[in-house]
Amino acid sequence: MDEPISPGDRPAMGRSPGISEPAPPAAPSAPVRAPSLRRWLASPLALAPLILLGLVVAVLAIASEGQYFGLSFWGPVWEFIPTDPAGSTYGIALFALGTAITAGIALILASGLSLAIAIALTTYLPPRTGRILTTLTDLLAGIPSVVYGIWGFVVLAPYFASTVEPNLRNALGWLPGFGGPESAIGGGTGLLLGIFILTLMVIPLTTAVMRESLRSVPRDVVEAGLALGATPWEVVRRVRLRVARRGLWGAVFLGFGRAIGESVALAMVLGNTIQYPPSIYGGSYTIASFIFTQLDSAFFYPELLRALVEFALVILLITIAFNLLGQRAVSGVRTRTVPGAGGRA
Amino acid sequence: MSLPSLPSAPLGDLRGSAARWRRRHLLDRAMRWGLPLALLVVLFPLFDMIYWIAVRALPTFTWATLTTDQVGLGGGLYAMIVGSFTLLALATGFAAAVGIAAGMYTAEYAPPSIARWARVAGNLLAGIPAIVLGYFGYYALVLYTHWGYTTLAGGITLGVFMVPFVYRTADLAFANVPSEQREAALAMGARPGQYLVRVALPIALPAILSGVFLAMAIGLGETAPLLYTAGWSSTPVAGLFQPTSFLTGAIWNFYDYPSTEGSFQALAFQAAFLLLILVIGLNVVVQAVAERYRRRTRGMMA
Amino acid sequence: MTGPEPGPVGPEPILSVRHLSVRAPNRTILDDVSLDFCDREVAAIIGPSGCGKTTLVRSLNRMTEVAPGVRIEGSVRYRGEEIYDPRVNPVLVRQRIGMVFQRPVPFPLSIYENVAFGLRLQGIEEAEVDRTVRRSLEQAGLWKELDGDVERSGLTLSGGQQQRLCIARALAVKPRVLLLDEPAASLDPTATQRIEELIFDLRKEYAVIIVTHNMQQAARIANRTAFLYQGRLIEYSDTHQLFENPREKLTESYVTGRFG
Ligand SMILES: Nc1ncnc2c1ncn2[C@@H]1O[C@H](COP(=O)(O)OP(=O)(O)O)[C@@H](O)[C@H]1O
Ligand SMILES: [Mg+2]
Repeated sequence: MDEPISPGDRPAMGRSPGISEPAPPAAPSAPVRAPSLRRWLASPLALAPLILLGLVVAVLAIASEGQYFGLSFWGPVWEFIPTDPAGSTYGIALFALGTAITAGIALILASGLSLAIAIALTTYLPPRTGRILTTLTDLLAGIPSVVYGIWGFVVLAPYFASTVEPNLRNALGWLPGFGGPESAIGGGTGLLLGIFILTLMVIPLTTAVMRESLRSVPRDVVEAGLALGATPWEVVRRVRLRVARRGLWGAVFLGFGRAIGESVALAMVLGNTIQYPPSIYGGSYTIASFIFTQLDSAFFYPELLRALVEFALVILLITIAFNLLGQRAVSGVRTRTVPGAGGRA
Repeated sequence: MSLPSLPSAPLGDLRGSAARWRRRHLLDRAMRWGLPLALLVVLFPLFDMIYWIAVRALPTFTWATLTTDQVGLGGGLYAMIVGSFTLLALATGFAAAVGIAAGMYTAEYAPPSIARWARVAGNLLAGIPAIVLGYFGYYALVLYTHWGYTTLAGGITLGVFMVPFVYRTADLAFANVPSEQREAALAMGARPGQYLVRVALPIALPAILSGVFLAMAIGLGETAPLLYTAGWSSTPVAGLFQPTSFLTGAIWNFYDYPSTEGSFQALAFQAAFLLLILVIGLNVVVQAVAERYRRRTRGMMA
Repeated sequence: MTGPEPGPVGPEPILSVRHLSVRAPNRTILDDVSLDFCDREVAAIIGPSGCGKTTLVRSLNRMTEVAPGVRIEGSVRYRGEEIYDPRVNPVLVRQRIGMVFQRPVPFPLSIYENVAFGLRLQGIEEAEVDRTVRRSLEQAGLWKELDGDVERSGLTLSGGQQQRLCIARALAVKPRVLLLDEPAASLDPTATQRIEELIFDLRKEYAVIIVTHNMQQAARIANRTAFLYQGRLIEYSDTHQLFENPREKLTESYVTGRFG
C-alpha cells in the first residue's frame, strides 16, 4: 500500500513519539555476518533502546514501592500534611481529570485541524507551496515547551482574561462549562489557555502523521476515483480517508501520548489549582504538570516522593500503551520528513 | 475556473440533476479554499509567538546579555549558556555513542526478531514524557548515587532522552545503504567490520549527523529532564559534579516575576529568544544536511 | 510539423484530437498528435514502451493534468465540444469518458459498493443503483461468476476479476467512451481472453480506445489501430491495413517485430 518514498525527502523539526518505520529492506542477499562472539556482544547494543526503556520503568517501579496504589490513590482527594506525610492522602483523580480534559479536548481540536491541513497539503495545494508550509508547521514542533509556556503566560493570559474569555462566556454561556459568574474568569491562565497551548503543541505531530498517511495512499487509487467522475473532495472523503484510516487513527493515538506527557508548558499556563474545575476558565493541574511542580518539595518527604513517582509511573504506562497502539496503526506509513528516520514526524 | 457553467449539449447530457452537480462542485470549491485556512489558524500563533518574544527580549538584549553572569535581579545569561552547552555536549556524547552503535547493530547485525523489538522500544523511548525521565534521573542519578544535583546527572538524563532520535536515524541510515555497496565490498574481500567502517559509515554519516543535530535541537529545548537533575547555580558550571543552570531553566525560574525593566522576566525572555534562534538554526542545519544526503543517495541509486 | 492525416472515420467522430502536444519541463512526451475516434468501434493504440500511449489516453479525459508538471497543448473535442475549454469542469468530462488503468485498483469497499461508487456521487436513487450495478456486473461477466455474492470486499477477487470489476465500475457511470490502458497487461491468458471478449461486446454500445503493447491483441479486437513512436503518431488506419499493408516503413518494422 505504500508508494516508494525516497528516504531523506525532507527534514523536520521537533520531537514526536514514534511512528514505527516499516522494517527496512529485508536482509540483503549477502548479509553481514560477524563472528559469533561479536554477534553476541552486539545484541545488548542492538537492544540498548529496550534496555533503557526497561531501566526507566524498573527504576520508577522500585522508587514507588507500590505503597500508595491503594484505594485512596485512585480517589479525588489530595491532602498533603507536611507534619504527617504518612497520614496524608495522595489521590490522583483530580489530576487525571485535568489531564483528560486538556489532553482530550486539545486532541480533538488538533486532530480536526491536522486533518484539514493534511488534506489541503496532499490534495489541494500546489507541491511547492505545500513544501514551504510543511516546513513551517514542522517548525512548530521544534519550539521548546517553556517557550510556549512563557508566551502563553505573559502574552496570551492577559488577552484571554480581558477579551477571549469574556466574549466566550457571553456567546456560549448557556453551554455547561462555558458560563458561570463573572468571577469565574480570573487572570487568564486555566483550562482554556492550557487547551489552546496544548493544541498547538500537538498539531505538528498529528499533522505529520496524517499527512504521510494520506500521502501513502497509492496514486492509482486516487486517480481511479477521479476517473469515475468524482470531485477531488469526493475522492478524499470516499477513498483517501478510507484507505488511510489506520494511519489517521495512529496519529490520534500518538498525539494523545504526546499530549498527556506535556508538563512544563501546562505548569505555566494551566493555573495550577487542585480542584474540580468549575468551568473552562478555571485553573487545573494535569498529572504531568503537577509532578513537574512538586518534586522539589518531595525531597524532604519520602512518602510524598513515592506518591509522585507513582503518578509518573501512571502516565508512563499510559503513554506506552497509546504509543504502542499508535505504532501498530501507522506501521506501513512512512514518514519521509527526516533522512531515513521513519519515526520522526 | 468558473461555476458549473454546465456546458451546452452534448457535453451537457448529464445524468442526475443539475442542482446536485452544482452542490458537489460547490462543496469541492469550499474545501479547496476552506481547508487551507486551518494552516493559518496554526501558523498565525507561531508568528505571534516569535514576534512577541522578540519584542520582549530585544530592547534589553545586548552583548553583555551573553557575556555576564546573572547578578541580583538582572545581569546576563552567561552561566546558563555555558551550562546549556555543557549539558548538551555531555548528552550528545552519550546519545551519539549509544544511538549510533545501537542503530548500526540493529540495521546490520541483529536478527530480524531482535531488530523489531529494538525498533519498537526505540519509538516508545521517544514517547516517554520528559518529566518522567526527569524523575528517573532524579531517583537514579541524584538520590541513589548520592551525587546530589550535578551537571553529570543532568547530562546523562538528557542523553537518555536524546538516544531514540539518534538511534532511529542511524538505524535507517544504515538500512538504506544500497545493498550493491555491501555486496561489492564483501565481494572484494572486505571483512564485515571493514565494510561497516569504510563503506557503510561514510555513506550513512550525513543522515546520522542530521539525526544528531535534530536530537540536539530537541535536547536544547528540554526543561523537565534537567530541573531535578542538574539543579541550579547562578555562576558558571564549575565541574561535572557541581550543579549548573541552563537556558530553559532560566525561563522556568523567572517567567512569572513582574515585568519591570532589567528584571528576571526580561532575562527569561532573553533566554527564550536565544533558544528560538539556536533551535531554528539547528533545524536549518538539519535540513541542509538532509538535503545533501538526499542528493547523494539519489545519485547513487541512479 | 503535422502528423499524418487522420484517416476517414465515418460520419461523425465522437472524439477528435487535433495537434495535441504534451510537454514535460525538459522533453516532449506527445508531439502534435491528431486523430479521430468513432462511436461503436474499438481503436487500439500500439507502440514501444515509453512512446506516449498512456499519456495520449490520459489526455483524452483530462487525467494528464492530475500529475503536476506537464503542459498540454492542442485540442480534444468530444462530440464537437472542446474538453480543454477552461469553462469545462474535468469532472464532467470524466463522467462521459471513463477510464480503466493498467493495474486493477478496486477500492477497499464491497464489490457492490465499488460498482455503485460513481452512481452514489450522482445521487442516483437506490432502485436504479441496484439495477445498474447488476447490469454492469453482468456485462463484465462477474455476476454469474460470483453467483451474485457482491457483498465481499473487492480486494478478495483474483487479478482478472478485479480488472473486470474496474471495468464494470467504469461502465456503471454510463460513459460514452471507455479508455483502457493495457487492461490485460498484468493478467494471465485466460483472464486476458475474458477481457478481450468483454471489449468485443462493449463496442456495440461504446467507443472503446485500448492501449496495448500486444500486437496480436490489437489485431484481434480493434477496428482501427494507431501506431505511436517517440511521441509522434506514425500511422493510424484500419487494423488490417496497418498490420498487413502499412504505409510507413517504421510501422512495418514495428509490426513485423524488428524492434520494440
Ligand atoms: N508527468 C510526467 N512528467 C515527466 N515525464 C513524463 C510524465 N508522464 C510521462 N512521462 C514520460 O513520458 C514518456 C511516455 O510515457 P507513457 O505515456 O507512460 O508511455 P507508454 O505508456 O507508451 O509506455 C515516458 O518516458 C515517461 O517517462
Ligand atoms: Mg503505459
